Amino acid sequence: MCELKRFDKTYKIVSNKEVCAGYFELKLKANDIKHCLPGQFFMIGIAGVFLRRPLSVYDLKTNVVSFLYKVVGKGTVILSRMRSGQLQILGPLGKGYALEICKDLNYVLVAGGTGIASLHFLATKLGKNKPYKKKGTLYYGARSKKDLLCLDKFKEIGWKVMVSTEDGSKGYKGYITDILEKKVKDSDVLFACGPMPMLKKVVQIAKEKKVKGFASLEEKMACGVGNCQGCAVNINGAIKMTCKDGPVFKIEEVNL
Amino acid sequence: MVFCMKPSLAIDFMGIKLKNPVLTASGTFGYGYELADLIPLNKLGAIVTKTITLEPKSGNLQPRIAEVSSGLLNTIGLQNIGAKAFIKEPLENLSKVGVPIIVSVAGSCVKEYVQTVEILSAQDTISAIELNLSCPNLKKKIVCHDLPLTQEVIKSVKKVSKVPVIAKLSPLVTDIAELALCAQNAGANGVTLANTYPAMAIDVKTFKYKLSTIKGGMSGACIKPMSVRCVYDAYQNIDIPIIGCGGIETGEDVLEFMLAGARVVSVGSASLVSPTRLIEIISEIEKVLKEKNIKDIKEVVGMLNTTKNAC
Repeated sequence: MCELKRFDKTYKIVSNKEVCAGYFELKLKANDIKHCLPGQFFMIGIAGVFLRRPLSVYDLKTNVVSFLYKVVGKGTVILSRMRSGQLQILGPLGKGYALEICKDLNYVLVAGGTGIASLHFLATKLGKNKPYKKKGTLYYGARSKKDLLCLDKFKEIGWKVMVSTEDGSKGYKGYITDILEKKVKDSDVLFACGPMPMLKKVVQIAKEKKVKGFASLEEKMACGVGNCQGCAVNINGAIKMTCKDGPVFKIEEVNL
Repeated sequence: MVFCMKPSLAIDFMGIKLKNPVLTASGTFGYGYELADLIPLNKLGAIVTKTITLEPKSGNLQPRIAEVSSGLLNTIGLQNIGAKAFIKEPLENLSKVGVPIIVSVAGSCVKEYVQTVEILSAQDTISAIELNLSCPNLKKKIVCHDLPLTQEVIKSVKKVSKVPVIAKLSPLVTDIAELALCAQNAGANGVTLANTYPAMAIDVKTFKYKLSTIKGGMSGACIKPMSVRCVYDAYQNIDIPIIGCGGIETGEDVLEFMLAGARVVSVGSASLVSPTRLIEIISEIEKVLKEKNIKDIKEVVGMLNTTKNAC
């Protein structure tokens, strides 16, 4: 896979809207960024906090790159209050989801919380590009109904959606991995992105049932480009950097 | 008199000719060549690599990074591929950049420092060695907290090194000027002041430590005034040149360190966050010098720090 050109530049905010309580979609006018792979991310500079924040790409259309994020701490609070102006971003960074092995398999996306962002971008790509042009199933778990994002977008592109909420306010009551465990088949290929406990379970299920797939990991990062070595992770017995060697890794190589 | 003449940023450091006084700080710039696509590396004064040890090291457990107000804590644990692997592909790639290369070295005992420096300083492409004597992440006492050991490491390394040796010192000592003098007397050709500050942070949401090793090294804008003080005090006590380091984010910060006595500087956390800063800083220095009508950056070194103690 060829490396995509990285930029460290300032781009204008097109919009930064709350899509539902506590979740925002940020759109930047980024003329340079013609391509990026699903699963890749940018480091977003936010005035008022020292480190940039890694956000994976939610969508990329006609020179507008978008990110979907949840307000969780000081950095995202400041970010969510920005309505206009500019942001300095570095990217696209990291390795995205590999599509090479997938053409004969059924796509199964497993999302937890804001993990839906990179999987949404993946689904839009899978829908468009031959020979991968195919629809699949999204398994999507969240805390409650109000934490479910962009379900309409998946339905629009004709994907099958299975939903779970921890409080039972929509879909199955419990964890999404409970459903996945029962339904997954060896003709599936998994693409998982979400919180660590969910990923652990997905990796366990995939290994037990010998299902291929990919997991997008998350770690605290300072630089996003492999220089600080802050985001180390054990992949197949070797120390790898989540930012540079990942964030997407083959499920069978991940030890969580 | 109004001159639009470009001020000269070129500076000699331990006999090495640098285009300008801006270096990368060890541990923040990988093996030095990885960001070649993002910034013009050949514009830098010199590149200081991450710390290299004799054998490969896998580093510490997660979490290794924690953000604090205006800075960060780290406990990477000197993860690196080891000296023998470093002199192959990474050093070859780095040599192509065309700026002086300074390799940071650490060891768990005097012998390891010596063996590592023997391997590295035999490489024609390495201009100098920087001894990491202050990594606060090793579980045992750091070298800088033991003056006889500090001297022994420097002396032993000097015996085998074919290139100048810089001692990077910990700021957390009773008397930084005394430690710098001790490094000079042991034969160091320069000192770096200073490394990160031992620090810790606790997450009160989870009641957990923010770093796997509990304590780590603090860097970033929040440490700058403390490191400027280290440079100021050491400059009065030594004759060897100083690399000023700690929280530099702008060209003005560089000049602050130089006015206090640093001959050159290294930039770390700021470039971790924003690689392009490294290059912007260089033009900012030029701008300030023009405004002050200073033609040569060398004039600035120690300009405000005129009291020199007899050595």
